[in-house]
Amino acid sequence: MATHVESLDNGLKVILHPLPDAKALSCWVGYRIGSRNEVPGITGSTHWVEHMLFKGGGKLRKGDIDKLISRLGGKMNAFTDTDYTTYFETIPASAMDTALMIESERMRNAAFDPKEVEAERTVVISEREGAENQPEFLVEEELWGLAFHVHPYHWTPIGYKQDLARLDRDPLYRHYLQYYAPNNAYLVLAGGFDPAVAMQHVREAFAPLKPEPPPPPMRLVEPEQHGERRSDLHRPGAADFLAVGWHIPAFAHEDTPAVALLAAVLGGWRGFTRFAAGDWRSRSNRLYRALVEGKLATDVSVRHELKVDPSLLLTDVTLAGGVPLDRVEEVLDAELAKLRKAPPSKAELERAKGQVRAWHQFEQDGATFQGMLLSASEALASWDAWDAMVARIGKVRPEHVRDVARRYLVEEHRSVVRFHAEEVSR
Amino acid sequence: MNLPDRTVLDNGAVLIAQALPSNPFVAFRGSVPAGMVAEDAQGVAEFLSHLLLSGTKKLSAEKLADRLEGIGATLEFRNSEEVLVFQGRCTRETTAETVRLLIDCLSNPAFPAREVERVRTELLNDLRLANDDTRYRASRQLSELVFPGGHPYGREPRGSEVRIRRTTRRTIAEFHDAHVGPEGLILAIAGDVDRDLVEEAVARPLSRLPPTNEPPSAIPPPPASRPRDSWIPMPHKSQVDIAVGGPALPRRHDDFYALFLANLLFGRIGLFGRLGHNLRDEQGLAYYAYSSLEARTAGGMWSVSAGVSPANLERAIRGIREEIVRLRTDPFSMEEIADGKDNQVGSLIVSLERNAEVASELHRMEYYGLGMDFLERYADLVRDLSEDRVRQVARTYFDPGRASMAVAGPIGRTRVSL
Repeated sequence: MATHVESLDNGLKVILHPLPDAKALSCWVGYRIGSRNEVPGITGSTHWVEHMLFKGGGKLRKGDIDKLISRLGGKMNAFTDTDYTTYFETIPASAMDTALMIESERMRNAAFDPKEVEAERTVVISEREGAENQPEFLVEEELWGLAFHVHPYHWTPIGYKQDLARLDRDPLYRHYLQYYAPNNAYLVLAGGFDPAVAMQHVREAFAPLKPEPPPPPMRLVEPEQHGERRSDLHRPGAADFLAVGWHIPAFAHEDTPAVALLAAVLGGWRGFTRFAAGDWRSRSNRLYRALVEGKLATDVSVRHELKVDPSLLLTDVTLAGGVPLDRVEEVLDAELAKLRKAPPSKAELERAKGQVRAWHQFEQDGATFQGMLLSASEALASWDAWDAMVARIGKVRPEHVRDVARRYLVEEHRSVVRFHAEEVSR
Repeated sequence: MNLPDRTVLDNGAVLIAQALPSNPFVAFRGSVPAGMVAEDAQGVAEFLSHLLLSGTKKLSAEKLADRLEGIGATLEFRNSEEVLVFQGRCTRETTAETVRLLIDCLSNPAFPAREVERVRTELLNDLRLANDDTRYRASRQLSELVFPGGHPYGREPRGSEVRIRRTTRRTIAEFHDAHVGPEGLILAIAGDVDRDLVEEAVARPLSRLPPTNEPPSAIPPPPASRPRDSWIPMPHKSQVDIAVGGPALPRRHDDFYALFLANLLFGRIGLFGRLGHNLRDEQGLAYYAYSSLEARTAGGMWSVSAGVSPANLERAIRGIREEIVRLRTDPFSMEEIADGKDNQVGSLIVSLERNAEVASELHRMEYYGLGMDFLERYADLVRDLSEDRVRQVARTYFDPGRASMAVAGPIGRTRVSL
């Protein structure tokens, strides 16, 4: 059944994706606000606001969202990204109005009770401290900080602990009022429903909400990087890590299909959305062969960070015990040089394309995943942007992959973080 | 949803299939009784699970990966306490080839010496990384306290660094030959399948799987445990992980459903039930604070997990204790129990919307002998639970007097008991 797209008078974009046999319904509301809209001093505020929107307001008392969804046997969550923030509930399709009511209240009527804001401060700090326990998080934070000096991709969505310790309720609430408005949001429904009936219910729930003046556009542009940047972290740990990031263009750029295949040839393809692959790892790729089968590393991954603004292609390597970081860098450099020198074979490229096509099917597993796929696509460009991207990926030729390797995988545009694991003192 | 098709093949393997035409691909999940309970040499089951994608007698590791990923299929093997689990995804068109490769991996692994050494390196690194992870250390230590004496439910799946270094290719091959075969094998498949596809592409190759040398191992009941506390200093970390728990019951025990509901209300429903309400919502102590119930063939464990700032460690332990004690002083209300029942009945729709989830549930139904009509009966099983029984099992099992505690992280001089 075709996807129905319509905008309400208040600016809310509605995307209805019916699945004829589905008994469940997944409701996603995305806001075009992420950590890229923050400024120094209030880093992490978007994520903190996300936490506050589970605490009621308007028709909902504290705990009501939890209760309403739990009684239905539903699942719910929210994610704060650099470019967007999204909330979802998956519930039996017959309970559509419950999800719509929760999301319309969340959009304009969140309470931000000062006592609750304060209680949540320690929760978000705890979330950050839990991440800090993992060396991979420290490496990731260092890498984005190194690669971006001007653009807010410099910090990660969780924000800096110093900012989380000092942020007050009022700037958080202003942040909410400014960005949580129907004209800065979109709603996706995927699952078992009749589109005409669903549209009527969406209108009833959301049409009364007033729009806000459009938020100011984020104007910061990262200047071109001239020269490699490096950072060495020496911390207690169990293994050395290497992370390398190369600047790549934004999602909408014409090179993105070829960069996606470059990532797949180098490190395999694990889907467009972040949770699709679970623990599955590709083994049919160049870096796995060179580093893991070569016993230099026990894990390697390549991530094509698809974002609204120019972003990074990332490689993360977990080194095997006793292997020098320099040796891993040499092997990595040699693999990149091969890709810059000659295009991948037709068979290798077809395998990579086949993976992208297969994952495009796997990622449509049920209402929740389909909602997530549409929501993530809409956040980057348009609800059908990923479908279009898969079609464009199918047309990439081997020499395109070599060309983008030459253009982007270059030393002067890369940032390198080396984590030197020091013996743990007891 | 129609009842799933269940077929017992001549060689003993059991095949369960469920057509879900709206999800346009196929997911499968299966197991053979080659988990930790079957191993004599500790760590060999984990070693084996890492080697089954390392090449067969017909295909090198590289060619196997190229074949699988060339058709866009995924295949994974994972060790667990009782069984070796395998799972994957493919399309309808590539099901026959994917199952052929799965059967080749299960029946003809080559264990090339180079791959054995690669996996050894991987396991040593994984063990070092796991031992540097506060959450893993606390939960692993708790399992050892609740299931002492080297019981497979309690021990480290990788064995130890010494065991990893000493495991030989021969030990692994012998373990494989003894335990990986059709006897006790279950394969559940869901999605874009029909009877013809299952017969041709799945049942036929599966029926050619050669038998094993040994019958499936009996699972010994866990020995009695004495409640103990364990404090693991990891001063270089930012956050402390707390794990509290004790023995519970086997999956087929009559009280399973009542305890499952009690656990849901105690630390799972919504934002982690009563525990989450106290530790996260009211006190702001933790990003995560939840409870779990693991019920296996021969025994089980309940546990509480929480990650907290070192400054809040004592308050968090006190909060966990308060909530356990409250199960006696302020038992679940009728409203709480009704909400939990509604949640379980509603979740039948929401938790089975994906092929992978359905395949996993079908596998569980067969493994524990719940019957192919289990999902039809589940709502009644839940509705028929008496409120008193739910309160009673909560008091019986979530017993602070029988609970152990493991704490890992920057604990400083803090030492408090539950």
